[in-house]
Amino acid sequence: MTYSGSCSCGGVTVSIEGEPAAVRQCWCRQCQKVAGGGASNNAMFNTADVTLSGDLASATWTAASGNTLTHWRCANCGNPVYGQSSARPQFMTMRLGILDPGHRLAPQAVIWTDDAPAWAVIDPALPAFARQPPPPGAKD
Amino acid sequence: MSEHTSPRHHGRCLCGGVTFTAAADPIGARMCWCRDCQYIASGSPTVNVLFSEDALSYSGLLTTLRLVADSGNTVERGFCPTCGAQMYSRTVDPAGTQPIRVRAGTLDDPSLRAPEAHIWVDSAPAWAIFNTALPRFRQGPGSERVD
Repeated sequence: MTYSGSCSCGGVTVSIEGEPAAVRQCWCRQCQKVAGGGASNNAMFNTADVTLSGDLASATWTAASGNTLTHWRCANCGNPVYGQSSARPQFMTMRLGILDPGHRLAPQAVIWTDDAPAWAVIDPALPAFARQPPPPGAKD
Repeated sequence: MSEHTSPRHHGRCLCGGVTFTAAADPIGARMCWCRDCQYIASGSPTVNVLFSEDALSYSGLLTTLRLVADSGNTVERGFCPTCGAQMYSRTVDPAGTQPIRVRAGTLDDPSLRAPEAHIWVDSAPAWAIFNTALPRFRQGPGSERVD
């Protein structure tokens, strides 16, 4: 097992075999709503590498990108667990907060900075995209 | 959460199932890096706009969860059971001692009040970025500062 995690009530657990294709911080307005006011931080794992257990609840909306985004959370405590885009079912974007500390994953890029409030603290060393970034692995 | 007229500020969850009004201006704002908040905030700190609790009025169905926070206080978190948006936290024991913390993202204007401090920075991940112009408290507000 490469990564493990659970929500704060312990109702949902996750184990992951493999490394993420990308780790991104998203400031879209919808992420601010579901992420307590700041950005969401998301590690995009191959769906086949992820094993989840426990009761999850979901909500689906049209993302700022135009894709359909399904946001999964613990059915009990509501902690965000992962998101999945209709455009990329091969990935599960695990919310970094759900992973056990010590994993060393960190955002590699910041996206949807157009939606960030003026007070947002964004790492100036990271590549930033005003809106949707190119898909992981895309060539210029 | 009492009766007030002419709300000054409005907010809602992502799906609109929960709405709220604030009859007064916020009294502060801060980012909280405690581990509980990182769970709630998808790895970020929660960004909280502080209001006097009696100025706020929520409508719609909320799910609430009470946990003992790192501070030792019993804190209630409210979220929308439909879309999952995190709405607020409030201290229920000891009651009446703390402002309610409204998640900034739920305000119609998330820029209403910029954060004035970082708290619980000892729990922040190594990649966390801070606005160094703001005070950084190792634990709760008023605890030892990192300078």
